[in-house]
Amino acid sequence: MLNDNQDNEAVQSRNWHIVVFLAGVGLLFLVLVIRLYSLQFTHYEENLQRSENNRLRKVVLTAERGYIYDRNGNVLVRNRPSYQIALHAMSLPKKKEDRKVIFNKLLQIKDKEGEYLFDTLSLDTAFQRINWIKTRPIRILEDATAEQVAIIEEHSSELPGVITQIESRREYPYGTLASHVLGYTSEISEEQLKLPEYESYSLGDRIGQKGLEQGYDQEFRGKNGLKLVEVNAAGREVGQVRGVETQAPITGLQLISTIDLKLQKVAEEAIPDSVKGALVAIDPRNGEILAMVSSPRLDPNIFSLKKRERNKGWAQVALDSMRPLTNRAISGTYTPASVFKLVTAGAGLEYGVLSESKYYPKSCTGGYQYGARYQKCWGVHGNLNVVHALRLSCDVFFYQAGLDIDMARINEFGRRFGLGEKPLGVDIPGEKGGWLPDSTSFNAKNKRLGWRWARGLILNLAIGQGELVTPLQQAVLIGSIATNRGVYQPHFMKELRDENGTLVRRYEPKIIRSGHMKPETHRILMNALDSVVNHPGGTGKRGAVPGIRVGGKTGSGEWKKGEKTHAWFAAVAPLNDPQIAVAVILEAAGGGGAKAAPVARKVLMAYFGIEEEETKK
Amino acid sequence: MSSGRFLDKSLKYDWLFLGITFALMTVGVCLVYSATTGEDIPMYDTFWFKQIVYFFGGSLLAAGIVFVKIDWLKNIAFPIYVVSLVLLCIVLFLAGDVVKGAGRWIDLGIFKLQPSEFAKIAYLLTISFWLSKHPVSLFKLKTFAVPALLFIVPFALVLKQPDLSTALVFIAVTLVAFFFAGLSLTDLFLVVSPVFSVLLSHSQSILFQVLWGAFICLVVFAVFRRRLPKALMAAILVVNILSGYASSMAWNMLEPHQQKRVNTFLDPMSDPLGDGYQVLQSITAIGSGGAVGKGFGNGSQTNLAFLPEEHTDFIFSVLGEQFGFFGCTFVLLLFALFLWRATSICKMSSDPFVTLVTMGASTIILFHVVVNIAMTVGLMPVTGLPLPFISYGGSFALTCMVLVGFLVNMRLHGHQ
Repeated sequence: MLNDNQDNEAVQSRNWHIVVFLAGVGLLFLVLVIRLYSLQFTHYEENLQRSENNRLRKVVLTAERGYIYDRNGNVLVRNRPSYQIALHAMSLPKKKEDRKVIFNKLLQIKDKEGEYLFDTLSLDTAFQRINWIKTRPIRILEDATAEQVAIIEEHSSELPGVITQIESRREYPYGTLASHVLGYTSEISEEQLKLPEYESYSLGDRIGQKGLEQGYDQEFRGKNGLKLVEVNAAGREVGQVRGVETQAPITGLQLISTIDLKLQKVAEEAIPDSVKGALVAIDPRNGEILAMVSSPRLDPNIFSLKKRERNKGWAQVALDSMRPLTNRAISGTYTPASVFKLVTAGAGLEYGVLSESKYYPKSCTGGYQYGARYQKCWGVHGNLNVVHALRLSCDVFFYQAGLDIDMARINEFGRRFGLGEKPLGVDIPGEKGGWLPDSTSFNAKNKRLGWRWARGLILNLAIGQGELVTPLQQAVLIGSIATNRGVYQPHFMKELRDENGTLVRRYEPKIIRSGHMKPETHRILMNALDSVVNHPGGTGKRGAVPGIRVGGKTGSGEWKKGEKTHAWFAAVAPLNDPQIAVAVILEAAGGGGAKAAPVARKVLMAYFGIEEEETKK
Repeated sequence: MSSGRFLDKSLKYDWLFLGITFALMTVGVCLVYSATTGEDIPMYDTFWFKQIVYFFGGSLLAAGIVFVKIDWLKNIAFPIYVVSLVLLCIVLFLAGDVVKGAGRWIDLGIFKLQPSEFAKIAYLLTISFWLSKHPVSLFKLKTFAVPALLFIVPFALVLKQPDLSTALVFIAVTLVAFFFAGLSLTDLFLVVSPVFSVLLSHSQSILFQVLWGAFICLVVFAVFRRRLPKALMAAILVVNILSGYASSMAWNMLEPHQQKRVNTFLDPMSDPLGDGYQVLQSITAIGSGGAVGKGFGNGSQTNLAFLPEEHTDFIFSVLGEQFGFFGCTFVLLLFALFLWRATSICKMSSDPFVTLVTMGASTIILFHVVVNIAMTVGLMPVTGLPLPFISYGGSFALTCMVLVGFLVNMRLHGHQ
């Protein structure tokens, strides 16, 4: 009985709880019904209008890409408006027959010259894609001219669902100038979209490729905005949705580069497109790159053109045997040739093997006998000390010096000033490191060929035949030898500013290699650099600039038997207070002193503002 | 209640209940059909056809469950609970297939298993089994130890996925289970009171300050009315006040953009270009349906693909647009009847396990219905909870059918 009572109580309590639960259900459902009533009765008209006559559309407001300026505020890269004609699925008629009518109308549209605007194939593809992609407009005419836009707008009443969009595209006002430094933009590829690092991008976004455009893509991009608009039945915007804030796009950052437009122009003119080569001008005091040329060039503007022309231009540069896409100044690795004698000499002086009074027993008689091998020199120079040997670029002296100093010390000295396998970390993609061979790395690299390291190899390496350097490394080398205050990381970004000009980030010069030698070594090397250019017998006398103490070193890199040598010239000026270092390489052009030195001279003249006429007087 | 009792006693099977379930499924298949037509694919590959297949499979499963003895359900409760935890761990740490950024699936080749769905069922059985033997009471806090442990493990694993909405299902089931295992309404109120404290005190505005003050008074009143042990009384009050202050402090410590993110979650319309865009489209679709709707297959909003998830999470807006207010209330009525028939099963048995499973299953269905519809009409945050029997989706259709199987089973075997 007691048990029953207890049970009874429990049952009553349970039933009461079920009632509470059901009451809760009723309450919740009541709230939903009230809300539905409010939407479907009170606000019926408003919602019906929105869904039938007017439609809501989310429009992405593409952020303006940041400009690139030179160091003096000249625009190197800017944007231009570009019109796109597109189909919008949601505004096109739903029936197939109606779509066919629009399709045929589009096909008949001609411009003033009587050319058809659209071709059947691409239009057909677009109309196919419409069935899959409903929320995004599908482009049917890229980069349309103002005239073409006007024609479409004229027919707009007959063409529901055909809309005009404005995009902004990159424009490079100086064409090929510094094209390898600036890079270009293109639509992000589907392969890139799959990678995690491009997570924040979406289909149709333009992304920087190569050069600064790629290196600072995140900074240039800014942030896209969004707005919610109402469009009419034909898909044209009729107004914004009230009470909905527009997210304004944030313009990308402006990059003030270290490039000096005036200097860059001179450098570009000095190396014609017919010559393969590169030039780097750098400020050794902070690593700012003042000019960089890689020849032949390409015009990045072709990547902003419409597809057909873009593909044509792309095919041209991609298939060109001169490889204009490569930035030779940072990705080209060359044998440093006699410029490397600076390193050999420096190492000798630093380790006390060489001095101004050190002469070798074998004087230069046009060659050097090493074992069974006879190594030639390019001239007959007699007996020389280190300064004279550098001035005349005598091989025989450096054969003997190299054997004395040993490769390990030479390479160590070279690495101090930026040579070697590790790239310098310039802020555009594609930089390669060089190579300073020693026995281990030489054997590893040439294992397949069966070559082994031998002491005789030092002969060639001591005069710079066999190492690899990039033109950028070469400029950094001579610059930092001249300053003797450390190697600064070469870079192009001076400042990043927002659209109002407020400073966002400034590049802080950074020392990446010690770049230091004994004062005595420095003094002797500086004397040598001076005499190469300013001594009447110096190999680099064509690099001399009136009124400025230019120092330099020539080089003629052998690369293939029977071909002309690669012409090298590395210069730095003024010697008492180094402000600019220049490295020039002209592939298969001949001797460095004859071919490359005049190019460097033009750049130095421009830098110091010396007119050509004055020198003639 | 008399007619209900008549229904209860006279029949082994509640045909009304089964009829409602079938009606809801039919509505679901029709709406999925309407939401996804126009795509030119063979019939066996269409969403609506697959949905029929899922329901058919689910019905077979449910039929199988119906004939299982209740004792057997009690016996397997704990083992399948352990299995579900293992599956949750697998999906979390090993085989997560990333769908919309959250690893929630295990691909079994022919079928993608969603362990969190499985865990809902396993947890329902386990917590019901435990609480049917060990009722809880605020006067004996020890009684909460095991249920809390049973709850926290799957809850944390699901939350980690991250699947907040499914994790909230676990909370709802737990609270209702406590309610039917010894707690009174006042007790329940006290248990959840800190949550309200957090919500009420995050804003510094006078209105919210006053509301929170009033709320605290209410808590004090409830605590004294229940004559709880002094330590517990103090604890509840302290937790309330602390969580209140902590909430406003934490809120003020958030960066403005973080605050914005929370606001956007709680009120999607404050971000009409993000989540709010979908909700705005959904509201427009439902509102434009008016009293009777635009008719089957005539949804301009939905057909135009404004709603990317119209056949799953936003299926209710298809209903609202095509069948209007009456269509919506009809479906709500079906759900209300479903819940009424389901809860009436408890009265057939004196076994607390039957009560707990029945009420738990009802809660799972109710929670999904309310949260999903509230989301589509812009009353609640956008979460990923589907609408039972109506949204497209294999795993969830199976879950619903298993729950139906339990309910029918309880009715059939409960009074023994």
